[in-house]
Amino acid sequence: MQRVFVAGAGMTRIGRRSEPLPALMAEAARAALADAGLEEPEAIVVATMNPEEFVGDGNFASNVATHMGFSDVPALRIETATSSGAAAFYTGFAQIAAGLRRSVLVVGGEKMTHLATPKVSEIIGRSIDPYERTYGATMPALAGLVTRALMTRQGVTAREISQVAVKNHAHGARNPFAHFQQAVTIEDVLDSRMVADPLRLMHCCPISDGAAAVVLSAERGPVRVAGVGHGADTLALRHRLELTSFAATRAAAREAYAMAGIGPERIDVAEVHDAFAPFELISLEDLGLIPPGKAGRATLDGDTALDGRLPVNPSGGLKARGHPLAATGVAQLVECVWQLRGSAEGRQVANATRALAHSIGGLATNNWVTVLERG
Amino acid sequence: MMETIAASKCPRCDMVVAPPATYCPYHPVAMAPATLSGVGEIVSFTTLHTPPEGFRSPLHIALVELDGGGRFVCHGAGTRGLKIGATVAIEAVDDVYYFSHLGAVERARLFWRRTGRAGDRVNAIARSLAKRVWKRRQRAAS
Repeated sequence: MQRVFVAGAGMTRIGRRSEPLPALMAEAARAALADAGLEEPEAIVVATMNPEEFVGDGNFASNVATHMGFSDVPALRIETATSSGAAAFYTGFAQIAAGLRRSVLVVGGEKMTHLATPKVSEIIGRSIDPYERTYGATMPALAGLVTRALMTRQGVTAREISQVAVKNHAHGARNPFAHFQQAVTIEDVLDSRMVADPLRLMHCCPISDGAAAVVLSAERGPVRVAGVGHGADTLALRHRLELTSFAATRAAAREAYAMAGIGPERIDVAEVHDAFAPFELISLEDLGLIPPGKAGRATLDGDTALDGRLPVNPSGGLKARGHPLAATGVAQLVECVWQLRGSAEGRQVANATRALAHSIGGLATNNWVTVLERG
Repeated sequence: MMETIAASKCPRCDMVVAPPATYCPYHPVAMAPATLSGVGEIVSFTTLHTPPEGFRSPLHIALVELDGGGRFVCHGAGTRGLKIGATVAIEAVDDVYYFSHLGAVERARLFWRRTGRAGDRVNAIARSLAKRVWKRRQRAAS
C-alpha cells in the first residue's frame, strides 16, 4: 500500500455565510491547494450531504470542480449522511494508497442557514429510518432517547453532559474559524430551553454554513495518514440492542488502530463528533480513549480540556466550531493537521504527535475514525 | 382488548423486529411473520418540544421493548411519572401506536387475563409486583 500524506489543509470561517456553496467550497479548496503548493490535483472528491434539498443543485462534484476551474479534473461525490466529509477523505486516501492517483483534493461543504430551522431539521431527518420518522423522530429526538438511557442506565449526570458544551465553547473562543467564539457557563447550558427532554438547546450543535478541504498526496509531507476505519450499524434505532454505545464507532476505531498499528493510549489530541454533547462522552469510551463509565468524570475534571491529559475538540467541536454537515468530517481533519504541524494558533496542543478524528453519520449508522501522525 | 402487533423473526438469529421487515437487519435472510402482544417495557423516552411539521408540541416518543422481543417506537399522551423499565400497554389508533402506563391494578388485571390456571395467574401477578419492587431497590442502590 502506497503511503499517503496530507500535503495541505484549509477551511472557511464557519457560521452564517452569504456566499453560494460552490464559492465556499472553492475558498476552502484554494486555501488547501495553496498550503500544499499545488495548482491542480489529479482528482477531486467532493462531500455534500443534501445539496439538492438545501441549495437546489445536483451533480455537485462537477458543479464544484467547474466553479474552481477544474472542469477537466475527474471529480466524484461521496455521501454517508453527516460523516460524508470523513468518507470523502477515505475515498481520496484509498485512491492514493491503491496507486491510482498521486494527488487528490478532498473538499466538503454545506450551506443551511438560509432555510428556516424546522425545514433544516426535516432535511437532516431524512437520514433517519422512514418508519421512525412517521412518529416525528428527528435527530434531537433520537439523541434524546440515547441521552435518557445514558443518564438512567449509566448514571451520567446533566452536569457532566453540560460540561462538554462549556469546554467546547471555551475552545471555540480561541478558534477564529469557529461559528461560536464565546465562552458559556454551565448555568447557561443547564438553563437553556429543553429541546428533546433531557437534551437542552445548548447540548446541541448549531446549524452552520462552511467548507473545509485537504490535499492528499503520495509525496512525503509533514503529516501522514496512519489509519482509517469505517464502521456501520442499523438505520433504525429500534433494531439496536444497545443505545448507550455506538457499535459503528467501536468497529471504525478497531480498524483504524489496526491499520495505524497503535492503540488509543498513543493518541495526543482528538476531534470527536459532539453533534449532541452526550455523544462526546459516549464516543470517548467507544474509542477507548477513556475507560468505560469514566468520560463524564474526566470531562468535569478537565482531562479533556486544552490543557488536560487528552485535549478533545480543541477546535470547539461541532458544538462551537459549528456543523456544516459534510464539511465537518474534513474540518476535523484540518484541525488535526494544524495541531500536528504546530500551527493551531491560540489553541495549540503541546507536542502533538498523533491526532484522531471521529465522525458520526446519521444516528451512528456510518461512522469513521481517522488517525494522522507527524510524518 | 390487548393489541397485537405484527412483527417478523429472523430464522437464523431469532431477532424479532416490529413492524415486520423483509430481511433481518443483521443477516441477508428473509424473515418469518410473527405476532407480538402490545405490552412491553420502556427502554427510553423523550419529549420533543419542537417537533417536525405535522406534529403538535409537546410530542412524547418512547422506545418500548415488547414482550417476546422486538423494540417498538410509539407515541404517548404524557411522560409524567414514567420511568425506564416501566411496563406499558400499547394501543393502535388509526394505525398509530400509543403507549400508556400500567398501574398496579391494571398490571394485575393484565396478568389475570393472560395466564391460564388460577394458580398461575396469582403467581404471575406476584412475580410482576416483586420484579417492580426489586427494580426500584436496584435503582435506589445505584
